[in-house]
Amino acid sequence: MGAFMKFIKQHISLIFPLVAILLGLEFFIVFDRTTDTYEKSLSDSYSIMVVAREEMSIDDFKTWDKHILGVKELSRPEALRGMKLVDKKSLEESLPYFYKIKLDNLLGIQALEQVKQNLTKSDTIKRIETFSSTYKSQYELFMFIKFSFGLFIVFMTIIGFFLIVKQMEVWNFLHAQRMKVMEIFGASLFLRSKVLINMAVIDAILSAILTSSIFIALKNIWVSDSEMKILKEHVSEIFFVSDFFILLFASIFVVLIAVFLVVINVKGE
Amino acid sequence: MPNVITANNLTLSYDQDDEVIKNATFIIKKGDFVFITGPSGSGKSTLLKSFYGNLKPREGSLVIGGLDMIDIKKPKLQELRSHLGIVFQDYKLINEWTVEKNVVLPLWISGYSAEVQSTQARRLLHHVKLSGKEDKYPMELSGGEQQRVGVARALAKNPFLILADEPTGNLDEYSSNVIWDLMENACQQLDTTVVVVTHRIPMVFNIPYRHFTIDENGSVYEVH
Repeated sequence: MGAFMKFIKQHISLIFPLVAILLGLEFFIVFDRTTDTYEKSLSDSYSIMVVAREEMSIDDFKTWDKHILGVKELSRPEALRGMKLVDKKSLEESLPYFYKIKLDNLLGIQALEQVKQNLTKSDTIKRIETFSSTYKSQYELFMFIKFSFGLFIVFMTIIGFFLIVKQMEVWNFLHAQRMKVMEIFGASLFLRSKVLINMAVIDAILSAILTSSIFIALKNIWVSDSEMKILKEHVSEIFFVSDFFILLFASIFVVLIAVFLVVINVKGE
Repeated sequence: MPNVITANNLTLSYDQDDEVIKNATFIIKKGDFVFITGPSGSGKSTLLKSFYGNLKPREGSLVIGGLDMIDIKKPKLQELRSHLGIVFQDYKLINEWTVEKNVVLPLWISGYSAEVQSTQARRLLHHVKLSGKEDKYPMELSGGEQQRVGVARALAKNPFLILADEPTGNLDEYSSNVIWDLMENACQQLDTTVVVVTHRIPMVFNIPYRHFTIDENGSVYEVH
């Protein structure tokens, strides 16, 4: 028990900030992955309604704006459905053409307004409906969530780095004397830092395992039981096996930089 | 006898304005036992530091074991240091390592096998009368015992040069005599060159020695 406690005490002060940084990194990866899909689904479910005097093809629309990805013509009988009319056929012929336009991605409010302006320039187009108020609220909510989450990740990473700097000071206090003595007796930089490297790499591996476990647990327990549709839809994207290697590489990179900075700052007496 | 240390108009300083050692010229040969004395702050430890490459000469030349200390590169310096035995007043033992591990530090650095390290540790600890203390930690030993561990460590690789900075400065008379005996033996039996910085030369010293002194102006003289 004593040895275990000693191990925990020795390692927790580095594992804790490393896990904070790795959580930040993995949240970023997962968030980026999920929001990409969500952004795409928002974009897919959104369309602009255009009323034209004459028949228009996709190329006709594309000449007015490069963001236009697809066009679907709404059948005119569809528009007249439910109406009790005597001469339905001639009325159908006199009706304008209705189009649903898909855009290539989730555009900002200003960019959407620009699309509308561009289409308005066409003489053939009579009317454009962008449903901007619904779009605006969805877009702004999405952007706000994205920004808040990004801020949280940055904040977590900064805290993690500060804790690592603190740990470097502790290392300096604990290992400087040994490294100085070893330098006096002719030890190379690698030999002097070997103890620290071994310890730091173990901590880096443990941190990567711990962070991966947290995400696997999130994926298999929390998300599965969650009532949130968006999370359930994207459960497969929450943790990939390849993410473990990204986390491992990142944590080893961070600890080796930290060790290197400590070692080069220790000068022999 | 070949030269081990050759200083020619050697000037040492920590900054541009303040010269600690001025124009020192001397030769120390293989097998010499040298005491360097002088008042506090005269530069005794500074001179010793230059011998193990912790301070580069500002002017003149200094050659240790055939290596020019002015142009010496890091790998060569590491190699030189691995062939020196250095003893400090404050022992400079690694407190989280056992006595045995401390003693074999120079062998570990040079990549000797665990078996060689273990055999040498037992022999050295017997030599400094610390048999049975292999698994102790430095903090569990008295000052005199810690310094004997320091001397054993200095002898671990049969160095061609032992440098000692006030090795008995923190010790009582009995422990000091033990340390001087060990130094005398190293010089006499192994033909190792020994350079000791000290405030006071011991009253009883059984082998011939040379005595350098540094005055307050940083000039080095041989007095004996």
